[in-house]
Amino acid sequence: MQEIRLQIPAHADYIDLVRICLYGIASKLSFSYEDIEDMKVAVSEACNNAVLHGSQSPESFPIDICFVIEKSSLAMKIKNDGPAFLYAEALNNAAPLQAEEISELPVGGLGIYIMQALMDEVSVRATANGNEVVMVKHVAR
Amino acid sequence: MVVEQFHIEQEETNEAYILRVSGELDLSVVPQFRTVLGHVVNLSDKSLILNLKDLKYIDSTGIGIIVSVLKIRDGLKAPFIVQDIPPSVKRLFDLTGITGYLTEGTEN
Repeated sequence: MQEIRLQIPAHADYIDLVRICLYGIASKLSFSYEDIEDMKVAVSEACNNAVLHGSQSPESFPIDICFVIEKSSLAMKIKNDGPAFLYAEALNNAAPLQAEEISELPVGGLGIYIMQALMDEVSVRATANGNEVVMVKHVAR
Repeated sequence: MVVEQFHIEQEETNEAYILRVSGELDLSVVPQFRTVLGHVVNLSDKSLILNLKDLKYIDSTGIGIIVSVLKIRDGLKAPFIVQDIPPSVKRLFDLTGITGYLTEGTEN
């Protein structure tokens, strides 16, 4: 097991750096192009949530991203301090768009659904000061 | 991997207002995208075309904006067409279910 860590300010301008870092790491493993694209979106969604919910507090807390490389999987842990976000509830309610009429479509709320749909495992735990999202992708055989 | 900066080009023809977006559409460019859209989304005299041919990346924030455009154009009964969706973007559109609500097209 190897761990690679990255810390970014809780600001949207730095989320592309997380994607670049992920791309580099995933390319060294034997993930397919599609798997890497999926992980890029999933890790960005987790960082989006950290930025959007972290920024509601007056103090700005950094976001810690840890990539855990295992023999046949990659785990991404995204941790941010700040006000607790009701991730558990959001995970249970995550769904694709399914309104009858366009006017009934919700704007937003797709991020968590996308994370679940693109990754093999998604879990969230509340930390002392915030949230940690853990997402795992297995290398396809 | 080279990050291509987000960029929007605006064009107006006799039939349509065209927005061409390229690069990476993520949370950091939402204000920029919203500002440009704000100029044309309520104009119901012509179609609004969003061309995605050179879009390299999109996530839920970009899809959320497209949903809000869909709703505004639907309310105005004004056409809104999404053109030239790249395969990687299309995959995410299918996954989130937005595909079912879009009018898709290709340029030319």
